[in-house]
Amino acid sequence: MQVDILTPESKLFSGEASSVILPGISGDFELLENHAPVIAALKKGTIVLTSKEGKKNVEIEDGFVECIQNKVSVLIGGGSVN
Amino acid sequence: MANLKEVRERIGSVITTQQITKAMKLVAASKLKKATDRITVMRPYSDKLFSILENILANVDVEALNLNFSQEREVKKVLILLITSDKGLCGGFNANLNKKAKALIEGEYKHLKGQGITVAAIGKKGRDFFKNYEGVGVDATYQGLFADISFENASKAAEFAMKGFLDGSFDRVHVVYSEFVNAATQIFQQEQFLPIAQFESKEGGLNADFLFDPDKEELVGELIPKILKTQFFRFILDSNASEHGARMVAMDQATENANELLNELKLLYNRERQAAITKEILEIVGGAAALEEA
Repeated sequence: MQVDILTPESKLFSGEASSVILPGISGDFELLENHAPVIAALKKGTIVLTSKEGKKNVEIEDGFVECIQNKVSVLIGGGSVN
Repeated sequence: MANLKEVRERIGSVITTQQITKAMKLVAASKLKKATDRITVMRPYSDKLFSILENILANVDVEALNLNFSQEREVKKVLILLITSDKGLCGGFNANLNKKAKALIEGEYKHLKGQGITVAAIGKKGRDFFKNYEGVGVDATYQGLFADISFENASKAAEFAMKGFLDGSFDRVHVVYSEFVNAATQIFQQEQFLPIAQFESKEGGLNADFLFDPDKEELVGELIPKILKTQFFRFILDSNASEHGARMVAMDQATENANELLNELKLLYNRERQAAITKEILEIVGGAAALEEA
């Protein structure tokens, strides 16, 4: 599946991945090929990407993820309000 | 009659000035390139953010959403986020932005002068303009934003406005900024930042059977601050690019003007030189004729 990890200032990752583990707001979860459509908020933690080149970790503060039809978009950014 | 030496010196100084304006133009052009690159990088992020919001709104009862950022209150205190540049020499860029903010103060919010208008100046030029302005408070906390543009720094200013809106320090927040169209065109804008307009129910978002975590209402509540910050970051990036564009154009104009001046001065110089030579020849010929006669 296609995974994009975007911040307002850069594109951290864009490419094929077989699995991505995300720190969801109510617990970590993993997205695999053909996952049902999901929109979720993320909390501070680590994203673990598994692609052909191996594993990749991305530290995040907060963010959102959307997954539709094997396209996963992860939006992360800096500090948060409140 | 102009002194030859004087004209020569003026030509020299115009050439020096022209070299400076030329260099400044090149610097502005390279900064503009960087600034537009940042806008390009940030676009997919903000597009996606909005599309996520749309996808949620397509699946949610909009009327039932109770958003604290869209709460309309009687306006007693206004915050104006004025985004100008730190440096001058960019034509009418800052003057136009200050004028926009002034129009807002003297127009819609005239009755609040002296009691409830705060200008948060982002950029020195805006602060300088409103520093001694009657009936307006100036907050320069976020003035240094342009020295180090980052999402994090921009977020701090946006958070200040959002927090102020939520705790009632401000009933309305406006942003005055410059929209970047291309290097030669900027549109000076004034936009209401808060409260945000009530959402309309959207048809057309992807009607997939989404799983939401947390639930939709909460997700919208989480998304809105992010969207506001992203929007504000866009204002900053746009203004930044506009500033460099304006400076590039202004410096180009200045170089051109120097060229014109240079041509005029050169003409004057040559004419004077020619006159001096003619005079000299006349004197010599006259002298020779006088000798012959004798």
